[in-house]
Amino acid sequence: MTNFATADFFTDTSLIENPFPYFEYLRSQGPIARLPHRNVLAVTGYAEALEILNDPQTFSSANAATGPIPDLPFEPEGDDITEQLNAHRDEMIATGLVVAKDGKEHANHRSLMMNLFTPTRLKSNEEYMWTLADTLLDSFVDRGHCDLIAEYATPFATLVIADLLGIPENDRITFCEKLGPPPGAVGGEVDYMDAQVLGMSFLFEYFGQYLAERREQSKGDILSQFAQAKFPDGSTPSVDDLVWISAFLFGAGQDTTARLLGACLRVFCENPELQKQVRNDRSLIPAFIDEVVRYEGPVKCASRLAVKTTTVAGVEIKAGTTISLLYGACNRDPREFEAPTEIRLNRPNARKHLGFGRGVHTCAGMPLAKAEVTASLNRILDRMTDIKLSEEHHGKPGNQRFTYEPIYTLRALKNLFIEFTSVR
Amino acid sequence: MPQITVTTRSGEKHVLEAAVNQTLMEVIRDSSIDGMDAICGGCCSCATCHIYVDPDFVDQLPPVSEDEEILLDGSNHRKPEVSRLSCQIRVSDSLNGLVLQIAPED
Ligand code: HEM
Ligand code: FES
Repeated sequence: MTNFATADFFTDTSLIENPFPYFEYLRSQGPIARLPHRNVLAVTGYAEALEILNDPQTFSSANAATGPIPDLPFEPEGDDITEQLNAHRDEMIATGLVVAKDGKEHANHRSLMMNLFTPTRLKSNEEYMWTLADTLLDSFVDRGHCDLIAEYATPFATLVIADLLGIPENDRITFCEKLGPPPGAVGGEVDYMDAQVLGMSFLFEYFGQYLAERREQSKGDILSQFAQAKFPDGSTPSVDDLVWISAFLFGAGQDTTARLLGACLRVFCENPELQKQVRNDRSLIPAFIDEVVRYEGPVKCASRLAVKTTTVAGVEIKAGTTISLLYGACNRDPREFEAPTEIRLNRPNARKHLGFGRGVHTCAGMPLAKAEVTASLNRILDRMTDIKLSEEHHGKPGNQRFTYEPIYTLRALKNLFIEFTSVR
Repeated sequence: MPQITVTTRSGEKHVLEAAVNQTLMEVIRDSSIDGMDAICGGCCSCATCHIYVDPDFVDQLPPVSEDEEILLDGSNHRKPEVSRLSCQIRVSDSLNGLVLQIAPED
């Protein structure tokens, strides 16, 4: 048994398969609890997380995607480290990403992503998604079993975003191979994260060229929209800005969306009644997806850096402290969600979970992620009945095991082996 | 800076300083008033940022896009002419003095 009092959430692999008992331990210490390592306060309270998310002046996103590893490149001094942070920001990892920006620069970058995945765009993309879903399903349904993550969810999510952005087909596979996993690996992080950033650098070359082509001539895709875009004050973004944004959109939405689909299927397999209910009434799919994001959301932990000394919920937070927002725990806060470990399709506040974050950094891909999972669930339910977990891979009911990626930022099923009857 | 007057769901009135080029949703969110959820963060996808604008200002606002129309149409509290999504309106000097009310939750 892991000793929760001394456990290091950021390196302890025993917390990967099921982090929830640990989250409940933290909750028992209060909605904001000090971790024994790395100068971190962990937030498990819903209201407290919202308060922090809504105060980006005090809580910078500079470490949003990386958390407390690696260490800050400076020693925080005093009760306001805003200037220190600004002076050292470029030495931190991946701070060119929109998710790690603050203030005006963030608002500028974000403005370009505001109306990307609107109802009309998603509607016009629906047919593509349905056809793609069928093409992928065709390749294995007759067999009656599959690894949903590798054979369906991952290629589906990658191809959808590649198509929307306008990445040429020939390059899509190269990208998938080169991209590798997201930040936050548990164990051996520093080398890994350097590799991660280097891993992204190849995208710059490709995206730079796509954008240059589209500044000459629009192709009707999102990259063309970017190539013509202006910031709200009328100024023109640099190609570098646009490359960061496009590369992030390409990277950010794939793994999370694929793993959400995996989580949905896991929940279906574990709750056959629920599977039946949603199968028979597809209008429940959106509520089902929100509940799965709340209950088993792909983003387990996002971070903030306190740049000013402050107090939240009676807890003093010193400038320089890392705040780990444990979205997976906040979404099970019983003060906000009654019976939080039950999937309820009729929760009045179902959409208010923090699985896509909230505030200035709210996920810009949420509508796309939901549309992708909706289309996929519809086609999966149409083409498979009696979906069950493979006992060979996951064990017997009551004693099932799952492998999650060893990452502290994400809750990501590595694989999900299912069995089903194919519908002809 | 343009000023806007916001009436919250509980009926409180607040005067907010609004920076040019921010969206109205951002102005409300960044203030400490009890505003709205803005669940999609301004991506024109959730309609939780629904407001009623003072009829005198309706003409000053950008037209309702097809997407905004679809979302407003899905709200049970839509009112003709004055219903808007606050994330779809950017502050300009001509909106100085704008009066708005946060629409009830759907
Ligand atoms: C189920 C799938 C997804 C989940 C659970 C998810 C979750 C999140 C979360 C929690 C954040 C906020 C991080 C923070 O608070 O610091 C975020 C930010 C973001 N996500 Fe997603 N995401 C998903 C899919 C996508 C997709 C499909 C895209 C794009 C195609 C995308 C693009 C972004 C972007 C651009 C941001 C940064 C926004 C900003 O900093 O202003 N996400 N996402
Ligand atoms: S914030 Fe979601 S539509 Fe305006």
